[in-house]
Amino acid sequence: MKVSTDYYDELFDFKGQWDMPSRCGLKIRNVKGTPVIIVTELYQENPGTSVTYAGESLARQICDAKGLDHDTVRYIECTPDTNSKLSFYDEEFYEVDFKATDPAKKYTRLSPEQIDEIKQS
Amino acid sequence: METIKMKLIYPRWQKLRGQTTFNLPPHGPVAFAATLPEWVDIDFVDENVEDLNFDDPCDIVAISMMLSTQVKRGWAIADEYRRRGIKVIAGGISTMLHAEDTVNHVDSVFLGESEGRMEEVLNDWKEGKLRKIYNYMGQQPPIELVGPCRRDLYKRELYNHKGVQMVDLFHASRGCRFSCYPCAVSYLGGRIFRPRPIDKVVEDMAGIDNNRLFIVDNSLAQNKEWEKELFRAIAPLKKKWISHTIEDDPEILDLAGKAGAWYVYQAVYDTSDYIKERIKRYHDNGIGVEGTILLGLDNQTEDDIKRLIDFLGEIDLDLAEFTVMTPFPHTKGYDDLLRQGRIFDFDWDHYNAGQVVFQPKHMSPERLQELYDYAWKSFYADESQEQKMFRLFCNVALREMQEGTYRPRDRRLANKSFGREVVRNIKK
Repeated sequence: MKVSTDYYDELFDFKGQWDMPSRCGLKIRNVKGTPVIIVTELYQENPGTSVTYAGESLARQICDAKGLDHDTVRYIECTPDTNSKLSFYDEEFYEVDFKATDPAKKYTRLSPEQIDEIKQS
Repeated sequence: METIKMKLIYPRWQKLRGQTTFNLPPHGPVAFAATLPEWVDIDFVDENVEDLNFDDPCDIVAISMMLSTQVKRGWAIADEYRRRGIKVIAGGISTMLHAEDTVNHVDSVFLGESEGRMEEVLNDWKEGKLRKIYNYMGQQPPIELVGPCRRDLYKRELYNHKGVQMVDLFHASRGCRFSCYPCAVSYLGGRIFRPRPIDKVVEDMAGIDNNRLFIVDNSLAQNKEWEKELFRAIAPLKKKWISHTIEDDPEILDLAGKAGAWYVYQAVYDTSDYIKERIKRYHDNGIGVEGTILLGLDNQTEDDIKRLIDFLGEIDLDLAEFTVMTPFPHTKGYDDLLRQGRIFDFDWDHYNAGQVVFQPKHMSPERLQELYDYAWKSFYADESQEQKMFRLFCNVALREMQEGTYRPRDRRLANKSFGREVVRNIKK
C-alpha cells in the first residue's frame, strides 16, 4: 500500500498524539493569494498518528515550520488512492475548518475539479 | 523494601444481548502485573466475575482496560477511589485509545507497554511525584523482557463453567505488520511484528496449568518461518489452542494441526470460492473454524449482506461471530467516518461491535441493526451457539483423550458458572 509520490512534494515529519513520531505527505500551493496546505495520509509509511487524528496540531506544526499564518491558510486532508481492491481506500480530499463548532461542518469534501484547480495554481 | 498493596481492577462491561456469555481470564492485567516490582502485593479484581469492594484497604489502584465498553466504568471506579484520596493509574488498550478522556479521571495514564518501566512509575508515586502521563507510545521495550504473566492472581474457580475450565490467554508476539481498516492494533503495538523468543514462548506455555489456550496474537500469519518454528516448538507440549488467522500454506496448516490448533477465527469477507476452500483447508488439517463476519462496510449493500449470511450455510463453519462496523478511535475507519460526518453516537458504552453507531453507506442504521440481529438468528437457527460450542468442545476432548492429556471436568463446580450458582430450568 505504497502511496504514490505524485501526492506530495515533500515528506513532513510531525509530532503526533502523545508526541509519537509521525509523517505525512505535503504540498503547499498559493491560490489567489491564499496559501493552501494539502496533507496526505501515508498509511504504512506513517509510523504514528494519522493526519485526521492529528488534525489542528498538524496544521499548526506545518504553519510554524513554513512560516504561514494558521488563521489565513486553507487546509486540506487527502486520503490517497492506493490501488487497493477495497473501496474504502479510494482517493478523497476534504477541506477542514478547524473553527467550525458543528462537527458536521468541520469537513467539506472537495470534487476532483476543485482539487485540480488548486494543484495547478 | 516496604511492601505496598495495589488493587488491580479489570472493570466490568455490558455483554452483548442474546449471546452466550463466557468470561475468559483477562490477559492484560496479569501481563501488566508481571512487570511490577516484587515489593508490590497485588489484589486483583475482575469485575466481570466478582464484586468490587471499595472499602478493601489498598495503597494505590491500577485500572487495566481492554475494551471501549469498559472505559466509562473504569472512569467511575477511578473517580470513586480518588474521592477517597487514593491515587489511580490506568493503562491497557482502551486506556490508550481513549487517553484524552481517561486522563481527566485518573492521577496517571500509562501509555505503551509496561515491561521495565513500572518501578520508575511506582517510585515516582512513593515520592509524591506521580506524573499525569507516562508516555511510551512508539517506544516498545525489548521483546525479550516480556515474561510469563502473573496467572497466579486469577481466582480460578471464577473462570469455570459447570466444571469446565476456560482457556488461558497467551501471546507469542506483539505488533502487527498489517494495518486493517477497522483495527487499531498498529497504533497500539506498532507496525513491526515482534515475535517473542521461541524458547521463552515454550517455557511460558509449558508453565500454564491449563491444556487449553487462546493465542491472542492479532494474526499468526506474520512470518512463515516464524510460524513453522513456533508450531514445531510447541507441538510436544500437547496443548490445544485457539488463535486468529494462520497462514494459508499447506505445510504451515499441517504443522499447526499437529501443534494442537483447535480452532481459528477466520474473517469471512466475501462469498468467493477462495473463502470456501480456505475453510476446507483448515478442516482438512483438523482445525475448526469460527467465521468472523463484519457487517456494514461501505462496500456492502443489503443484498450483499444477505448473500454473505446465506453463504455461511454453504461453507461448514463450526461457529460464527457477527459484528457491525465500529469506528474505534485510531483506526482508518474512525478517521473516514469522522470526516464524512457519519458517526452519530460517541457513547463508548455503545462501542461493543453489536450496536450501530454510524450512518452506513447503503442503508439506514436501523436496517443494519436488523440485519445484524438476523445474521445471528439465522446462523444459529438449527443449532444454538452453546450446542455448536459443545461440539467443538467434544472434538478437543476426544483428541486429548487420544493423547492422554484430557482432564475431566471439576465435579465440585458442576453447579457453578463463573462463580454463580447455575439456575436450571427443568420442566416437570
